Amino acid sequence: MTKEKIIEVIAENIKENLDDLENETIDPMKSMKDYGANSLDMIEVVSCSMRELNIKVPRAELADIENIDQLADKFLEHAEA
Amino acid sequence: MANNILNFSLADFFFNDNPDVLSPPDDFSEWINNPVVKHSFSFFEQELLDAPRVSTEILSNLDGQRRKIINLTSYNYLGLSTHPEVVQAAKEALDKYGLGSSGAPLLSGTLDIHTEFARKLAEFKQKEDCILYSSGFGGNVGAIQGMMRKGDYLVMDEKCHRSLVDGGTLSGAKMLFFAHNDMESLQMMLEKAKGKRTLVVVEGVYSMDGDLAKMPEICDLAEQYGAGIFIDEAHSTLMFGEHGRGVAEHFGVEDRVGVSFGTLSKSFGGVGGFICANKDLIRYLKGYSSPWNFSCAPSPAVSGGLIKALEVATRDSSLRDKMWENTRYMKKNLLDMNLDLGGTESQVIPIIIGNSGEKLMTYAEKMQKAGLFLQPVDFPAVPAHSRRFRMSVSSQLTQEEMDTTLSIIEDVIVKDMKS
Repeated sequence: MTKEKIIEVIAENIKENLDDLENETIDPMKSMKDYGANSLDMIEVVSCSMRELNIKVPRAELADIENIDQLADKFLEHAEA
Repeated sequence: MANNILNFSLADFFFNDNPDVLSPPDDFSEWINNPVVKHSFSFFEQELLDAPRVSTEILSNLDGQRRKIINLTSYNYLGLSTHPEVVQAAKEALDKYGLGSSGAPLLSGTLDIHTEFARKLAEFKQKEDCILYSSGFGGNVGAIQGMMRKGDYLVMDEKCHRSLVDGGTLSGAKMLFFAHNDMESLQMMLEKAKGKRTLVVVEGVYSMDGDLAKMPEICDLAEQYGAGIFIDEAHSTLMFGEHGRGVAEHFGVEDRVGVSFGTLSKSFGGVGGFICANKDLIRYLKGYSSPWNFSCAPSPAVSGGLIKALEVATRDSSLRDKMWENTRYMKKNLLDMNLDLGGTESQVIPIIIGNSGEKLMTYAEKMQKAGLFLQPVDFPAVPAHSRRFRMSVSSQLTQEEMDTTLSIIEDVIVKDMKS
């Protein structure tokens, strides 16, 4: 699994769960909050992405993540484990 | 998962990918049956063998023993659930009306005592009208879901109760969460909602931290943006304000708050919830608030007892005065021990332990075995770096019980944290 693939999956889920983003390019250096996500939206995006990628990261390890790129790194770490 | 099983929490099993819809996620059972995880869950659903007074008895899940305990976990802030006059009134209503209301309020469930109680609550809260719900959770869900629609905006404090969030989800309105009690963040969210029908939702006393909503500033901002205000006074009704009407009275902003929610299970000592607002909005809610429309009306015995509870708590200030006296004493002594009580301003006193779930559980067990029932509050209910105990101070506490409590906390928590 590549990091590009992971970012692609996260970006698709962001577009699917949030309003008015159909034609936007998701910038990985941004936070989901920048795209209007509230905490419930973020749980939805993270959970759907993990399910699709078939990985499971404890929520406690996600607390300090600041942007989509860092989330992808964390996913990659667990995909390789 | 085997090597990091203790890093998981309930937050991780919300989505279920098991193809068998009648089973939990595959790894949920592995997790919940791990001995350490199982032990931490044994603190929950322990049976009380007597009334939820301060002085009661527990059947401990930890070692199967029956144990006399000082209970600082129940929300019986004013001791009304066992007040002799309240119990007597409940018995009389039970004798007259029986156990249940046998119908939804709209069709046949409304009894004269429900109408009387709703009227008295509206008078107490100085609003035009009141609607009664059979559960507090249902009251919050029902009010938000009944008032808000797709296209509307809910601007909520991030620490709002689950019932308010669920009501928001059900309503279809867009939910924007502002950083807890942060006026800059509130303004940013109000800016995003500008021009839409917007309701600002806050709690009088926040249940995990015991701090108060900054009502004067919140009212100023909401008014500036033309938003309505909803306050959840679950942990403040009968306790805050000169007449016990809550945090809105405490800050002198009752006229500026459109909708006031209260629960009947905490200071009131019964069960249920209520919404006070203007007459037209209450009439509208009766058409669209599902937990009212499609639930059986409250049990008459409970409503009969609650009418008396309202009378007892408001005929003078003795119960809340005693509760405040006890709160001041506990808070002063806990602070003297250098414990972290967060920003509490109420009878809800958190004792913040930090990021160690293991310490939290060890302390909880030792305290319970020493005779103090103080439930641990773990992640994800609170942030992982501020796991805590949450003390509910009651007017029922005697001097001796407070001193015993403090000495157990000192022995178990303070001595260990120093070492």
